[in-house]
Amino acid sequence: MDSNNKTYWKGLEELNPTPEFEALQKREFAEDLPIEEILSGKANDSSVMPRRDFLKSLGFGVGAVALAACNKTPVNKAIPYLIKPEEITPGIPNYYTGVSKDGYGILVKTREGRPIKIEGNPSCPIAQGGVDAAGHASVIDLYDSTKLQSPLLKGAASSWEDVDAFVKEELTKVNASGKKIVLLTDSINSPSTNAAIADFIKAYPTAVQVTYDAVSYSGIINANKNSFDKAVVPSYKFDNAELIVSFGADFLGTWISPVEFAAQYASKRNARHLKETKSMSRHIQFETEMSLTGSNADVRIPVRPSQSGLALIGLYNSVAKLAGAQTFSVETPEFAGNIIAKTAKELWEKKGKSLVVAGSNDVSVQILVNAINALLTNYGSTIDLDNASQQYKGNDAEVVELVNEMNRGTVGALIVYGVNPSYSYPKAAEFTAALKKVAVKISFAEREDETSKEFEVIAPDHHSLEAWTDAEPRKGVFLIGQPTINPIYDTRAAQKSLLVWANNPVEYLDYVKNVWNTTIFPQVGAGIFQDQWDNLLRQGVVKTAGVAAQSYTFAKDLGTVVSTITNNSKAAAGKVELTVFKHTNVGDGRNANNPLLQELPDPVSKVTWDNYVAISEKFAKEQGIAEFDVVKVEGNGYSVELPVILQPGQAYGTVSIALGYGRTAAGKAGNEVGKNVYPFVSIINGSLQNFNAVSINKTGDSIELARTQTHHSIEGRDIIRETTVSAYANDPSAGSHGHHDLAEISEKDEKDQAKRDKYGNLKLLNLWEDKEKKGHHWGMAIDLNACTGCGSCIVSCNIENNVAVVGRDEVRRRREMHWLRIDRYYAKVEEGTEGFMGHDSKEEAVEVIHQPMLCQHCDHAPCETVCPVLATMHSSEGLNQMAYNRCFGTRYCANNCPYKVRRFNWFNYADNDKFDYYMNNPMGKLVLNPDVVVRSRGVMEKCSFCVQRIQAGKLKAKMENRPLKDGDVKTACQQSCPANAIIFGDINDPESEVSKLLHNERTYYVLESIGVQPGIGYLTAVRNKEKVVAEHGHGGHNHEAKAESHS
Amino acid sequence: MSKNSNVFLKTCLKKGVLILTIAFLSVAQAFAADPKEGETLFKANCTACHAVGKRVTGPDLKNVDQRHDEAWLVKWVHDSQAMVKGGDAAAVKVFGEFSQQVMPSFANLSEDNVKSILAYIKQEGEALDKKAAAAPAGGATAADSGTSSYTIFGLLGLVVVLFLVIVVLNRVIKTLEQLVLTRKAEGSISETEEEEEAVPSKFVQTIKILASNKKVIALSIVAVLVVGSAWSWKEMWEVGVTQNYQPAQPIKFSHKVHAGVNQINCQYCHSGAWKSKNASIPSANVCMNCHNQINEYKGEALVDADGEKIDGTAEIQKIYQALDYDPATQKYGTSQRPIEWVRIHNLPDFAYFNHSQHVKVAEESIRAAKGLKAEDPVCYACHGEVAKMDEVYQASQLTMQWCVDCHRSTEMKHAPKNHYYDGMVELHEKIKKGEKVTVAQMGGLECAKCHY
Repeated sequence: MDSNNKTYWKGLEELNPTPEFEALQKREFAEDLPIEEILSGKANDSSVMPRRDFLKSLGFGVGAVALAACNKTPVNKAIPYLIKPEEITPGIPNYYTGVSKDGYGILVKTREGRPIKIEGNPSCPIAQGGVDAAGHASVIDLYDSTKLQSPLLKGAASSWEDVDAFVKEELTKVNASGKKIVLLTDSINSPSTNAAIADFIKAYPTAVQVTYDAVSYSGIINANKNSFDKAVVPSYKFDNAELIVSFGADFLGTWISPVEFAAQYASKRNARHLKETKSMSRHIQFETEMSLTGSNADVRIPVRPSQSGLALIGLYNSVAKLAGAQTFSVETPEFAGNIIAKTAKELWEKKGKSLVVAGSNDVSVQILVNAINALLTNYGSTIDLDNASQQYKGNDAEVVELVNEMNRGTVGALIVYGVNPSYSYPKAAEFTAALKKVAVKISFAEREDETSKEFEVIAPDHHSLEAWTDAEPRKGVFLIGQPTINPIYDTRAAQKSLLVWANNPVEYLDYVKNVWNTTIFPQVGAGIFQDQWDNLLRQGVVKTAGVAAQSYTFAKDLGTVVSTITNNSKAAAGKVELTVFKHTNVGDGRNANNPLLQELPDPVSKVTWDNYVAISEKFAKEQGIAEFDVVKVEGNGYSVELPVILQPGQAYGTVSIALGYGRTAAGKAGNEVGKNVYPFVSIINGSLQNFNAVSINKTGDSIELARTQTHHSIEGRDIIRETTVSAYANDPSAGSHGHHDLAEISEKDEKDQAKRDKYGNLKLLNLWEDKEKKGHHWGMAIDLNACTGCGSCIVSCNIENNVAVVGRDEVRRRREMHWLRIDRYYAKVEEGTEGFMGHDSKEEAVEVIHQPMLCQHCDHAPCETVCPVLATMHSSEGLNQMAYNRCFGTRYCANNCPYKVRRFNWFNYADNDKFDYYMNNPMGKLVLNPDVVVRSRGVMEKCSFCVQRIQAGKLKAKMENRPLKDGDVKTACQQSCPANAIIFGDINDPESEVSKLLHNERTYYVLESIGVQPGIGYLTAVRNKEKVVAEHGHGGHNHEAKAESHS
Repeated sequence: MSKNSNVFLKTCLKKGVLILTIAFLSVAQAFAADPKEGETLFKANCTACHAVGKRVTGPDLKNVDQRHDEAWLVKWVHDSQAMVKGGDAAAVKVFGEFSQQVMPSFANLSEDNVKSILAYIKQEGEALDKKAAAAPAGGATAADSGTSSYTIFGLLGLVVVLFLVIVVLNRVIKTLEQLVLTRKAEGSISETEEEEEAVPSKFVQTIKILASNKKVIALSIVAVLVVGSAWSWKEMWEVGVTQNYQPAQPIKFSHKVHAGVNQINCQYCHSGAWKSKNASIPSANVCMNCHNQINEYKGEALVDADGEKIDGTAEIQKIYQALDYDPATQKYGTSQRPIEWVRIHNLPDFAYFNHSQHVKVAEESIRAAKGLKAEDPVCYACHGEVAKMDEVYQASQLTMQWCVDCHRSTEMKHAPKNHYYDGMVELHEKIKKGEKVTVAQMGGLECAKCHY
C-alpha cells in the first residue's frame, strides 16, 4: 500500500535499532512496572500486605472517604462589578487589535477584561492572519508575577517621582558635561516610539541612538547600501518566486520575518495552488545545521560554513557565465549531481521569478547575493527595495564602537531599551566591564536581567498588551495596538518615561494620536482624524498605496568581494566548524523565560528545555562520540559543555548550537536552561558572524535530553505519503492511491480475494456499526505540503485548552501534555534523485516531512470501545468526546489509540508547586480559558476539536437566526497557522473548504487500513524534485511500477 | 418585649398624626389652595426631582414658602430659566447651588395648581415637624438593637430554665435515694418480694415469645436492612444536592418587591441571560438607575426567612455604602467596595451552562415543556417563581439527572422558526408530521454538549 518505497524514521534509534530500543518500543510503559512480581508474590516484602493490614487500610480508607464527603458545601461568592464597563458582558469575549512583539498585527481576545489568547489579524498584510509560537506564548508573560512590580532606583523599589527626579538631574549633568547619552535599543519600527526618541534627543543634544540586534542583519543593510545606495533590508516576495535558493537563510523559522515568509511560501505550494496550476515553487537549500527551512526544502545540500561562501561564488560564476557577465576563477566546491551548475541553469530559466537569499551577516556574501539577484532581474518582482522592510535596522559597527567609547569614558549615560548585551553581545564580559565606566545606567527591562543587574535605574516598561503600541514593519504599512488591560504592576511605557525625562509629560495616548494625526494619516489619505482613528482601531492597520517596486542593476566590481569571501572561508575552515543559530522557539534569548516555548519541541530535533550540540552521525562515530555524550566545545576563547545529539542532515565536520539559551537572569523558567553560545559569534570586519572554528572533546559525562522525538515510533507503517510534482501533474492522486483503492473497495466485488489480501477485510468486516452522519459532521484537512512544522499551532492549542507545562523531567518520562504534536519524519534521499550525495559520501542527505498529529476523531474510535466507564464516546457530530469528570484513569484508551494522541494527567499540574510554571500561581491562572476545564490528576485528555469553539459558533448562528456558515468555527490550531495548512469545518456541508479538500485527489487518511475511519484527512506532501538520471520513465508510470512491485 | 411596645407606640403615633391631619385638612379646605389636589399634582409632576424633608435632585421643598414668596414660586415653576436669565438674584443662586440643573417649565400648571402644591408641601412639612417632635418621647431609637438582645435574652432564659431543671432533678434523685435507703434500713421491702409482685402483662409476654422466635428476628433484620438501605440510597443521591438553598445575602434584596410588585423585567438587571452564558448579577450602577431617586422603602413590611423584620430603607443604604455615595450631595466617593453576594446556583466547574441558549434560543420549547404562563418570564422554568420570593432560593435540583430529564422530554418547538436548523431536513419533516423531536434526539444528551 505504500505510495513510495522510501523508508521514513523518526529518530536514529529507529533507523539503526539497538535491541534495547526495540524492546522498549514494544512496551506500553517506558519504565518498569512490577506487575509480574506483585502477582506472583515475589516482590520485595514491603509490597506484600498482610490481610489484617489490608482490612485496616480498607476500613480507614472508607471511613476517610465518608468523612471527606461530609464536608459542608462551600459558600461561593458572586461579586459583580460595581460599575460595569459598557463594553464588557461577562461570558462574552472582546477582541482588540494589537501588535505582536515581533511587530506584526494580532487580535487579542479578552474575557472580563483579561487578555487570554492571541489570534491572527487577517487584515495585517505582513502576517496575513498568522501568528508564530512566540506570539501566542507572549500572553503568559503578561501575568508573570516575578517581573518588577515598581521602578528600581539604585537597586531598591522606588516611586516614579523619585526616579524621574533622579534621572532628569543626572541626564542634565551628563548633557552639560558634553558626554554622550547613549540610547541602546533594538530595531524600533514604531513611529510613536521613534518620535519619542527624537524628542528625547532634542531635549538632550548629546544623546544618540545606537541600534543593536543580537541576531543582526547589518550585512544585508550594508550590502544594499554598497550595491544600490539603499541602506535597507528589502521586502522579499516568496510568493512571486518559482525558484528559491537559500544559503543558510532560515526564512521559515527565524530569518527577518518568518510568519510573513511562511504565508508567502505556502501560497505557492498549497492545495489550491497545486490544483490550479499543477505546479509549485521549487526550493533548494544549502545549509550547515538542519533548520526548519531546510527541512521543508525540495533539495537540501549540507554545506560546511567555510564552503558556503565558495559555493555561492560558484553559483555566481555559473549565472554570470549564462548572463555574459564577469566571472572569477575561484576553486568552488561541487556537490553531487553538479548541483550548483544545475541550480544556476534553473535560476537562469526562471529569471525574474526566482530568489536567492543568504543567511550570512557578511556584507561581502550579501553583495554577491545582490549581484546574482540583479543578474537574474529579480529586483522589482521577488525583491522590493522601495517598500523596504523596517524590521531590522541594527548596525553592528556602531555597537562595537560603543564599547570602545564606553571604555574611553566618553559615554556619560547609557539607556538600554529592549536589548540585553551583557548576555547577547559576543564579548559580553568586555561590555559588562565597560559598563562600569558609565556613570548613569538606565534600563527599561521588565526585570533585573544580565545587563541591568547593577544599573542605577530600572524603569520597567509595560508588557505590549498593556500599552499603546504601533509599528511600521514595512514601509507604508502601519499597525496599531491598543492596551487590553490596565497595567498590572506599577510599570510605565518606556516612551512615556523618555518623554517625561525630556520634560514633555504628555499622556502617551495623546502623543500617539498626535503622531498618527500629523505624520501617518496624511500619508494614507485625507480624512477626519476621529473617523480615521476609529477605523484604525477596528482594523488594526492602514496602508499607503506604496510605490511600485523598481528593478535594479548591479554595477559594482566584485573583485574585492570575492577575495574577502575566499579569505574568510580559509579562516573559518577547521577540523570542526561551528555554527550558532537563532532558535525557532526561544529566539535570540528574549523568550527564554516562557515555559510554553521551552516546552515546545524544537521543530527539527524535538528537544525541549535545552540546547545541545548537533553533530552528524558519521562525524560523531569518527570522533567516538555517542548521543547524549557531553562534549566540551572550545573556540574563540570560550568553551561550553553540552550534550550531543546526532542530527541527520548536519553537514559533516560541523557542529551547531542554538543561541538564546543559558540565560542567568531571565526568570525562573529560563534561568540555567542550556548554555549561552553567543561568545562563539565572531566579529569580523565589524559585523557579527555566526560561525567559528572550534574543537570538541568528550568530557565523559552523559546527559539525557528531554526529547519528544522517539516517543511515538512509526513501526514501519504507511503514515507519511509523498510524491513529486511531475507525478502529481500526471496523476493528481499520485501518492495517495491507497486511499482511493480503499474508498472503492466497498463498491467493488466483496469477494475479490486479491484485494482482501491486500487491504484486509476493511469495510467487509467491521467491528463497529456505521452511524448515519446527520447534521454537522466535523472534520479536518491538513495539507502536508503547506505545513512547515513551525509549531505555532501547538502553543495556540496549549493556551486555548489550558494544556499544562510539565517540565524537563516529565518530558523525559514521556509525559508531555501537548494535545497536538508535529511528528517529524526523516527519509534518506533516494539514489538517483537530486540531493543524493553518493553512498560513500560523508554527507548524510536526508529529507524531512512534518506531520501535525492530533486526535483523529475516528468515526470508529478504538478508544471508545475499551473505556470501561464510557468516559470517551462519540457525538452525533462526529466528535470523539472526552468527559473528564467521568474518567477514572485506566488509560486503556491511550493504549488502544493507534495514533497515540491521548495524554494522561499524572499530577495536578494546576495547583502543584512542583510545576512552578504559570498555572500554580494566582496571577498565572488569569490566563486560563474560562470555557475549558482545567483537568485534574488521574484523567485522560486529548484534542477536543476545540469543542468550546464549535459550541460557541453554533450558538452564535442560533442567536443570529441563521445557518452556520463555513468559517464560523475555527479551531485554535487553524486560526493562526501562518501557512493555512489546517482547515477545519463541517464535512456535511458540500461547499465548505474542508469537504472540498477532503475530496482532493491528494487526500489520504493515516492508518486508514485498520478501519477506524479517522476524521482528519492529510494531503500528500509533494516535492518539487526530479530524478537526476531517468531510470524507469517518468512520474505517474514510474509510481505505478513501484506500487506494483511493492505490493 | 421592648419591640412590641415600640410597635404599639408607633401605631399610636401614626394614628395621632392621621387624626391631626384630618383635622387640619378640614380647616384647610376653606382655602382655594387644596392640599389634596396638591398631593396629586405633586406626585405627578414633582417627585421625580423633589421631596419634602430631604434634598433629592432638586432642593428640599420643606419650608419653601418661608424661603420664597408665593408669587416668586409660581413664576419659578412656570419658567425658571427665564428668571435665571433675567438675573433674579434668588433664582440665580438656586440654579447655581444645584449644579445648574435646569428645572423643566411647568406652564401647564395654573396659579391655583401651584398654590395647591404649595399647600400640600406646607402640610407635609408640618406633619414632619410633629413627627420629629414626637419621636424622642417615643423612644424610637431603641428599635435598632432589637434582634441581638432578643436572642441573648432567650438563650440566657434557656440556660436558667435548664439549670433549674438540673437542680430540681438532683433534688428528686436525692429524695428517692434517701427513701430507698431508709426503707432498706427498715427492712420493710425485701427484694424477692418485689420481683414476685411484678407480674408481667400479656403484652410483654407476647413480645418475649416473639423475640425468641428466630424467624421473626430474621424477618425484622431483613426489614430494617431494606428500609435502611432504601433510606440511605435516597439520602446518598441527595448528597451535594443543594435544592432550596437560601443563603442570607449581604443586602436583603427582595425579588418580590422588584420583579413582583414593581414589575421590573428580569432582563433589566440580568441582561446577560439573553446574550451570554452568564445571567450576570447586576453591577451597582444598574441599581443606582432607580435608587438614586428611590432612597427609602415605603412598601409593604418585609420579613426575612427567620421572620425578622427588614428595614428596606437601611438595605438601600447598603448600595450607597458600596458605591461610597452620598445621597445628600449626590456625589460618589473613592472608597468603593463591591457587594459580595452569596452565589445560590452553583454548577460544578466541569459543567458548561449557557443562559442565552436556553433563555433566548430555546425559549419557546422551554415554555411549552414547563407549561409556563404567557405572562411569566421563561426564567421560572428553572428558577421558580422568583417574583414571589423575597429571598431567592434554589428552586431546582441542578443535578445532571435534572438537566438530562428535561433534555429528554423537551420538544424542539423553536426549531422551525430558527434558520439555524434550516439544513436539518429530517428534523423539519418529523416536526411537520407531528412527531415528537426532543432535545435528546438532537444530541442534547451528548457529553461534550456540557462537558469540555
